[in-house]
Amino acid sequence: MQSKLIRITDQTAYRRRRFIAGALGLCTLGGFGALRYGQHWPRSEASADKAPVPAVVEADAAVLHNAGKRLTSKHAATHYNNAYEFGWNKADPYRESGAFQMTPWAVSFDGLCAKPGTFDIDELMGMPFSHLEERVYDFRCVEAWSMVIPYNGRPLRDIIRAVEPLGSARYVAFTSVLRPKEMPGQASAFGTLDWPYVEALTIKEAMHPLTFATFGVYGDRELPQNGLPFRITVPWKYGFKSPKFIVRITFTEERPMATWNVENPKEYGWFSNVYPDISHPRWSQATERRIWDDGEIERIPSRPYNGYADQVAQLYPGSVQQYR
Amino acid sequence: MIRLAAHLLLATPAVVLALAWQGRALGVDPQKSLIFESGIWTFNLLLLVLFLPRVARWAHWPTLLRYRRAVGLWAFTYASAHFLFFLSFLLGWDFPRLAEEIVKRPYVLLGFSAWLTLFTLALTSTRGAMRRLGRHWKRLHSTVYIALALVAVHYLLMIRSDWAWPVSYASLALLMLVLRLRRGNPARS
Repeated sequence: MQSKLIRITDQTAYRRRRFIAGALGLCTLGGFGALRYGQHWPRSEASADKAPVPAVVEADAAVLHNAGKRLTSKHAATHYNNAYEFGWNKADPYRESGAFQMTPWAVSFDGLCAKPGTFDIDELMGMPFSHLEERVYDFRCVEAWSMVIPYNGRPLRDIIRAVEPLGSARYVAFTSVLRPKEMPGQASAFGTLDWPYVEALTIKEAMHPLTFATFGVYGDRELPQNGLPFRITVPWKYGFKSPKFIVRITFTEERPMATWNVENPKEYGWFSNVYPDISHPRWSQATERRIWDDGEIERIPSRPYNGYADQVAQLYPGSVQQYR
Repeated sequence: MIRLAAHLLLATPAVVLALAWQGRALGVDPQKSLIFESGIWTFNLLLLVLFLPRVARWAHWPTLLRYRRAVGLWAFTYASAHFLFFLSFLLGWDFPRLAEEIVKRPYVLLGFSAWLTLFTLALTSTRGAMRRLGRHWKRLHSTVYIALALVAVHYLLMIRSDWAWPVSYASLALLMLVLRLRRGNPARS
């Protein structure tokens, strides 16, 4: 009698445990699904979002060397971005940037220059947006993917000249905006980057005619996911050397810090020029995945200085190892 | 019937991924999503295959043990898809470069070793192999814990800045390893 009772108790207990195990299993699966896919599962987008983009940009005297090239679709270039300010996922910059205030936007210039001051973005453009130059640049991410993107802007050197850097200024430091309330990635506890994002170039690099003060892409100013309203584009370096959301530009004598370089100096060099022969410690840089459109990806060889060697190689005398 | 349902359940992530790929629903870079998701599901199923016997013992539910092999084989399937996606999308079937990557990059070496381990276990998962290997079979198959450790470090090496997912997975893997070392093999009881 007693043994039977025990067995019944045991079976009831085991049945309860099976139920608990099953329920916990389902909860785990559901929780995993919600955490992993709830937020990041691709949503269907309005078709208006995929407006056709002319595949070829009109030739422009300043960039004849790459005019007429095939462009990455605007949809791909605006829905696949690295902007850790909005999150680490490449869809985060367009999904999580809704609260970001793009106007008004002012940029302050300080440090070793004769005419420091704060300028509104219209003053920086110096002309109506539609009059800005359009340049088609190859964009090469350190993660070994690339795109071809039309940028709207003007050479950075035209702006720099206006504030008259002193002879002692050897570097130009860029500081991005710090707005954790509008940029969820800056508020995240799960990142290791220090905010705001900082980057820097040598003054020679900053004054190079290819270095482009950028106010739009694809003729569109309203794209925070691409680093607007104001970013710098440096096409011969890995993408993270082209800072976004810039609010401050400082001229210095000492080499300024750069966010990814501080994060992991072995993996992200201070110069970070594109050298296909120099691997990232974790992956090869010999080839890149050229993203043309959603799901249309081509593997192509990478080129020294991302194809701009003729224009910029003279900036880097001696062993290229110094400029990785 | 239940076995079929179990296989269907284990195949669901693969089916959903394949449909999403076909339906162009994987976003701008489906290659990246495919590599990532196949890796994550390998990890999920590896954790599940090690967790099943513990649940079976706790809840006195021996039926669960019958599905261990299915889970293990599906883990191997996801791992193989992961490897094939890597070979195809990132290396373009360039086998000399695969050899170079294995030698030069720790994450590739770890992932490849883990896949080799799972491959061996999948090959020896048949009843015939169990019989032939006898008492060695259990020892051979406890190398799944080594595969788990390799996979955990492989994922940790992927961190660029955001560590939440890789560290969570590594913690779970560590927990399984500690349980195994402290209480011994759960399948033995």
